[in-house]
Amino acid sequence: MKTESKLMRYIVPAALMLAGVCFIVYGATDGEAFAVLKKAIAICMECIGLG
Amino acid sequence: MKNVILWLFGLEESALSDPTVVAGIITSFALIAAVLALFIVLLVKKRFLIHRWGHKVWSRTKLLIQSGFFILTNSFMVGWFKGTIYQGKLKFMCVPGMNCYSCPGAWGACPIGAMQAIFDEFDASKSWLDPVSGTYVQAPLYWIAFYMIGILMFIGALCGRLVCGLLCPFGWIQDLLYKIPVKKLKLPRDDRLIDKSRNPKAVRFWLGVDKYMRYLKYAFLIVMVVFLPLIVKANPWFCKYVCPSGMLLGGIPLMSMNSNLAAAAGKLTLQKLLILGGIVGLSIFLYRPFCRYICPLGAIYSFFNRFSLYKYGIDDSKCNRCKGCSVCASSCPMGVDPVKNPNHPECIRCGTCNSKCPQKAIHAGFRMKTPEGSAIRTRKQK
Ligand code: SF4
Ligand code: SF4
Repeated sequence: MKTESKLMRYIVPAALMLAGVCFIVYGATDGEAFAVLKKAIAICMECIGLG
Repeated sequence: MKNVILWLFGLEESALSDPTVVAGIITSFALIAAVLALFIVLLVKKRFLIHRWGHKVWSRTKLLIQSGFFILTNSFMVGWFKGTIYQGKLKFMCVPGMNCYSCPGAWGACPIGAMQAIFDEFDASKSWLDPVSGTYVQAPLYWIAFYMIGILMFIGALCGRLVCGLLCPFGWIQDLLYKIPVKKLKLPRDDRLIDKSRNPKAVRFWLGVDKYMRYLKYAFLIVMVVFLPLIVKANPWFCKYVCPSGMLLGGIPLMSMNSNLAAAAGKLTLQKLLILGGIVGLSIFLYRPFCRYICPLGAIYSFFNRFSLYKYGIDDSKCNRCKGCSVCASSCPMGVDPVKNPNHPECIRCGTCNSKCPQKAIHAGFRMKTPEGSAIRTRKQK
């Protein structure tokens, strides 16, 4: 039986996680985290069905 | 200390003169402490080792984990007591599952709502700070939503749809509804079981319908979460016209506690209530209809099942499929055959197959080998 290589099993997920962290940092510095905060701290009328 | 608490809860000092607010703060701390204590007990008792305990103990443990995580992420009790929402700084962070940020208890933002909010902010005429040159340039980069893609990529690459199985509040609610004891809509997946059924032709027809309807969630993701908020704008389209989680966790509690909001209810409220009612009703008979056919977040995580660090795998030296055992495939509530593909995009990593396998041939975790040293196959069966 052929099992998954170490590359697929560990290195690819680790690389994706690392890329994820870089994206988060980049996005946050670009103001996206603020855009999320701004939306999330007010009651979202669309979400609760009031339009 | 007082300032830290005020910052954490996003409150002004004057709010502390209200006994309801103080009671809310104390209850929040008590609930968080109780859930953390529960998780520590589960860890110490090694209840996360699905194999060791069998199905009964695992299904109870799973319910405890789901309930605990729901309480942990929705324990802003000031909101529940006063009919408001959390407005503190922690809300720039996202929770992993479908958890409306307008839920009175929510500490974090919903990833799908947050993604639409970023897309909605995108304006091609706006300038942005180029981190390489350090200057402001005219270029549309918000449309990539780096922040949200990063968060979802990190969680997905860590554990894939384990989020759906254990951490998502709307998944948990559907699990509870499915526990209502009525006759269930369940189709066999395994070829042998289909052939043994009363009407194999009809079973295969409905399996086909179910299979193609599952692609709908990718359409919801592309059209209502990405395309419309980015191009047409004006609305978080998925939240506004579809999301039942927003109505259940946000709309109903807020409107029942706040008469001004209730007075604003109209056509859209009715439409969303009907969608919610349909999904709630269907969830009693069919396992997780929202997750199967609609959820755009499940669609995103499904891409990561194949590439995540936490994986399911089969010990082929133990699996008894050749002797006719299909316990895993017939017990999987999502209709997956884990022996054929242990990391199928539809697998929500609920642990049912794993805890029911009489041969203990299904493994979940981070390893490439079983404790006895045999290889674990994480790929599709050849
Ligand atoms: S598919 Fe969506 S609603 Fe279902 S459990 Fe996963 S994230 Fe939650
Ligand atoms: S394959 Fe197993 S873990 Fe995945 S959804 Fe089915 S029963 Fe749950």
